[in-house]
Amino acid sequence: MAKRKGLVINDRQLDLCDDLLRKLKDVTGSTFLALISTSGQPITTASDDYHPETLSLASLAASSFAATQQLASILDEKEFTLLFHEGKSSNLHVSQVSDQVLLIITFGRETQVGKVRLYTQRAIEVLRPIFEGADEENEALAVDDDYEATAGKAIDDLFADLEG
Amino acid sequence: MPLINFAAREINYKIVYYGCGLCGKTTNIQYIHRKINPSARGKLVSIATEEERTLYFDFLPLSLGTVKGMQTRFHLYTVPGQSYYNASRKLVLQGVDGVIFCADSQITRLDENVESYLNLWDNLIAQGDDLTKLGFVIQMNKRDLTDIFSVEDLNELLNHTQSPVIEACAVSGLGVFETLKIVCKQVIAKTA
Repeated sequence: MAKRKGLVINDRQLDLCDDLLRKLKDVTGSTFLALISTSGQPITTASDDYHPETLSLASLAASSFAATQQLASILDEKEFTLLFHEGKSSNLHVSQVSDQVLLIITFGRETQVGKVRLYTQRAIEVLRPIFEGADEENEALAVDDDYEATAGKAIDDLFADLEG
Repeated sequence: MPLINFAAREINYKIVYYGCGLCGKTTNIQYIHRKINPSARGKLVSIATEEERTLYFDFLPLSLGTVKGMQTRFHLYTVPGQSYYNASRKLVLQGVDGVIFCADSQITRLDENVESYLNLWDNLIAQGDDLTKLGFVIQMNKRDLTDIFSVEDLNELLNHTQSPVIEACAVSGLGVFETLKIVCKQVIAKTA
């Protein structure tokens, strides 16, 4: 059976990302930051006391961002590299880090959009190389047969007695 | 493709319900949301029209718990079935690990089923995916109705990949979890 390879994050990559997100949070004065995959799955977050429902946020943000890419295509634009929603008390900024990774930032009226954009752009320059070449670095890491067997049992247990 | 976060000890798989309009994709996901232990699921997100037709997608995260030290999740999505929403379907398919093709068993829906099945192949090929390398289950829904195709006929029409086929009635829940169970195991097997 052919093996499928996905986006794999290791300890080193996550430490680098967490460190950078914390710095970006402090320097921009933003409330919540998250790295997510372009298929809508969260990778890591940074926040002090604001914790939105991350799974739904990641799914919706990735879908919205994907839709803007299609809008760009319809408008004969190569790509739109960021998505911005302005609210009364909070704002949402989504930007592309790599082919597989997006950066979400929420911030309030106490900070400025320009500041967020400026520092985000700089942060992306640092974040991008962290994910480039990740496949080679992680090639030895894999979901093995033992994991498959244990997960199979867990799936049977989770869905036991639920059939209509 | 799954997101494997070794640092955070997480694995996330993406499963998409595909099929023509009104075939029962959203009904499947709503039944799962209703019946599964609330501690094992997240919020059901639906982007639908005022008539409750899916406009973009439904989304339901399920947690399998910790397996070999890895928090394992399945993210379930539906696509909008109506043919003119193909741009949205392409977006939802990005990064998919497994597909449940929900077929409407009614004889009157033959053309829509075939069109949707071919559309699935077209969209996967366009994004560089191969259905034979993904988890794939065909669910023959609405088996409780009259004037329906036989399983053999639908199999011949829609199952040239020789994939697992489950008879279902998503409204009552028949076959809903059986279908999901198979595709969940498949997507793990494809990466193991």
